[in-house]
Amino acid sequence: MSVMDIKRYRRIRAAAVLFIVGIVALAAFQGSYLLAIIGILTGMLLLSSARLKAKITLDEREQAIREKAAQATYAIFAPTIGIGAFFLILSARGEFLYLEALGMVLAYLALFLVTLYAISYHFFNRKYGGGGDEE
Amino acid sequence: MRNEQGSLLRNKLKVFRAMHDLTQEQLADKLKVSRQTVIAIENNKNLPSLPLAFKIAGIFNVQIEEVFFQEQGGKSK
Repeated sequence: MSVMDIKRYRRIRAAAVLFIVGIVALAAFQGSYLLAIIGILTGMLLLSSARLKAKITLDEREQAIREKAAQATYAIFAPTIGIGAFFLILSARGEFLYLEALGMVLAYLALFLVTLYAISYHFFNRKYGGGGDEE
Repeated sequence: MRNEQGSLLRNKLKVFRAMHDLTQEQLADKLKVSRQTVIAIENNKNLPSLPLAFKIAGIFNVQIEEVFFQEQGGKSK
């Protein structure tokens, strides 16, 4: 099995994403769920096989970058939807009562995110040796 | 990069790499990291983990302190 380089993998990845987007757009236009599912699955299969052949190194620097990016995403996303939910619920009156429902959905989503973060933190704290009182 | 005590952590990776006639890519392959990681370490943009630092020293057959060292720096303006 030949090994492809990272540049070629990125080109294939971009092509696969464009393919998925195109098929899903076509499926939406035609109102066909089946076409959308087939397109997504085909694209995912293409991406997986390309990734298997590509020589991709996930080293500690890449790991650190991904962790920081995830942390930043959470730090921005959770407060944004929480505050958004708050204002949506406040502004729901008259003909805009649907905003309250939307606000409630976002509020529960924010709560879910915070809970998930707390559980993840607890898990990784235990995994990396924290939480004990041993000396 | 500064550590908590405010001293600069530097390395002589480029020097040792030149002494052993290794390109960044060749060193990255030996360390099983990406070339970008080697570049980042050489430019002091990224601190290697302890295992990686030991691995680097092992490749050059030197002690870890010969590759990585602390430089006492003043406070930045």
